[in-house]
Amino acid sequence: MAERVRLDGVTKRFGDTLAVDDVSVTVEPGETLGLVGPSGCGKTTTLRTVAGFETPTEGAVLFDGEVVTHVPPEARNVGLVFQSYALFDNMTVRENVEFGLKMRSLPKDERAERATDLLELLDIGELADRDPTTLSGGQQQRVGLARALAIEPRVLLLDEPMTGLDAKLKRRLQREIGGLLEDLDVTALYVTHDQAEAMVMCDRIAVMNDGVIEQVGTPDEVYERPANDFVADFVGTSNRLAATARDGQLDFGHATTPAPNGDEGGVTVVVRPEAFEVGAGPFSATVRERFYLGEHVQTVAELPDGESVTLRLDPTEAPSQGEQVSLALDTDRVHVLSES
Amino acid sequence: MSDGAASEAGTEDGTPGAASPDDTDAVPDGGLPAMGGTVPARDPGRLGRVTARLGRPLVVGTVLVTVVFLILPVVATFAASFAHDWTGVLPTFVRDGELFTLTNWKQALGLTETVGAQRGLGGAWRVFGIPIPVTIGFSMGLALGGVFINLLVGIPIAYAVTRYDFYGRGWLNTFAVLPIVPGIILGVAFLKTYSNLPSAVGLMIGYSLLKAPYMVLAVQSSFESMDLRQMEESARSLGASWPRTFFTVVLPNAKTGIVSGAIVCWTLAAAEFNFSYIVYSSGPKPFSLFLFENISNNPFLRASAAISIYFAIVVVVTALLQALGQRGFELGGTR
Repeated sequence: MAERVRLDGVTKRFGDTLAVDDVSVTVEPGETLGLVGPSGCGKTTTLRTVAGFETPTEGAVLFDGEVVTHVPPEARNVGLVFQSYALFDNMTVRENVEFGLKMRSLPKDERAERATDLLELLDIGELADRDPTTLSGGQQQRVGLARALAIEPRVLLLDEPMTGLDAKLKRRLQREIGGLLEDLDVTALYVTHDQAEAMVMCDRIAVMNDGVIEQVGTPDEVYERPANDFVADFVGTSNRLAATARDGQLDFGHATTPAPNGDEGGVTVVVRPEAFEVGAGPFSATVRERFYLGEHVQTVAELPDGESVTLRLDPTEAPSQGEQVSLALDTDRVHVLSES
Repeated sequence: MSDGAASEAGTEDGTPGAASPDDTDAVPDGGLPAMGGTVPARDPGRLGRVTARLGRPLVVGTVLVTVVFLILPVVATFAASFAHDWTGVLPTFVRDGELFTLTNWKQALGLTETVGAQRGLGGAWRVFGIPIPVTIGFSMGLALGGVFINLLVGIPIAYAVTRYDFYGRGWLNTFAVLPIVPGIILGVAFLKTYSNLPSAVGLMIGYSLLKAPYMVLAVQSSFESMDLRQMEESARSLGASWPRTFFTVVLPNAKTGIVSGAIVCWTLAAAEFNFSYIVYSSGPKPFSLFLFENISNNPFLRASAAISIYFAIVVVVTALLQALGQRGFELGGTR
């Protein structure tokens, strides 16, 4: 089957500013695609283009193979969930959820049934007759989601839906909503600046920067094999070390390790903090900072050339501040970017 | 998350080296040098100590005195409107065994055949012999007409200014909320420009112009307190056309501002004297002129009755607008 949503060379200019630059990406049916990037990278503009609130300067938007570039938002059948929830305060929770069905002239009893089912599904059945203003942020977000899902949208668009919530609630909702989207087989586009959230919620992630998509891939592809420096830096924590690749070896100047691939010449080696291990190894380093974080200890160590690296160590084996240690590198977990 | 610390470590290469021994001496225990308890506690001073003790009684007392000072004349005026006369220190309420009188009210409303009745609210219609002060309805209608025009013009302006960014937006905003011109200037200008306009129409348009800022400001603050764009976009994505979104989502959510704007506009329009005095020529008399004619060249007690009538009408219209607003939005919205 064809992809649910396809952006074909979408470019959006606002005056002289290029917000989205030749973006082409697809969302498969039932898939959640994450759109992540720093603020101002064009991810929200991309989402609004899919919703129909922005018309691309160039390029096309296709739903199920059909061009919808100039179809107005109300005729696109997309669900929208905002960070601000944007609930209709003049209506009860139930009326909010029924709104889209009412616009589709569904009979009253059918609307009521659908709304009840959805509210139950989202575990807020008992709030049906409340005013949205009396609900907590997490509850409001559930209502917003129920309202958007009620119309059985072709694609559900979520714009930073969890950003206003506290960390603990956020994690709980991430699990719940992620599971729900999967169970209901909802096709979704999930915009967030929080790459960790995207990794939990999304089947694939598109990393955006300056209006351009830098890489699209599954969470592990993007994390383990970042396409470039920006992705390596933006997704997760990374140490990027300059090295020279030669004869199957990576030469860091002060240490040498086996190379994971056959690159030659100057390279950037992306090393995740968990790829370092304390013990016999080619790197000698001095511990400069040490943060105890409970499940692990985050350590910043200085290499002989003055470069700092971040290590993620088990509390039982983490050295103390000022200590001189030897570090081994798990070469299966490093990723080499050739200099371009 | 640990991202912050890590990316910092990745970029600031020289950080460990910069923490030289000199720095360590200047900053013992890693804190600020001046944190040795040398900052004295703040002395509130004599005034501070006095206000701390007397502050609350002082505020309560001031509020009470102000309230009594403001309320007393209103109560006295209302009571006096039922008195037979007020020549001594206190008004006379009992005469010839009659407690209170409605004569002043009847005169002010133009319901009696006494001299000067036509000066009240003009003649009254009689239904089965009972006089009905219809002109008072027209008077209120003039101000309501102004409010109606304000709703038609003010809400779209407030919406456009809040929702969209367009050329001249700042100017539109400034003009809409400028308390344009004093009524007297607008009145003269109206007479000069539209000399053939019936005075009722002129009055309504003038009221709406003069009071437009209050409507625009009230509605605008309502619009600004919600996430107008996201709310609107949610409704559109759910299948509502733009007009439907405007009437079922945008307007009902601005209910508070619209109702309070209407109440303020009506009250101010009803009390607008300068403009009314200049523009009025014939037909139903504006409310403020009714007040004026009952106050000047009339006994104090009749003026009291007129003022009491004005108060009563303001209260009733305010309550009606409130109720109407509530009801209207319930019909318009989904609830």
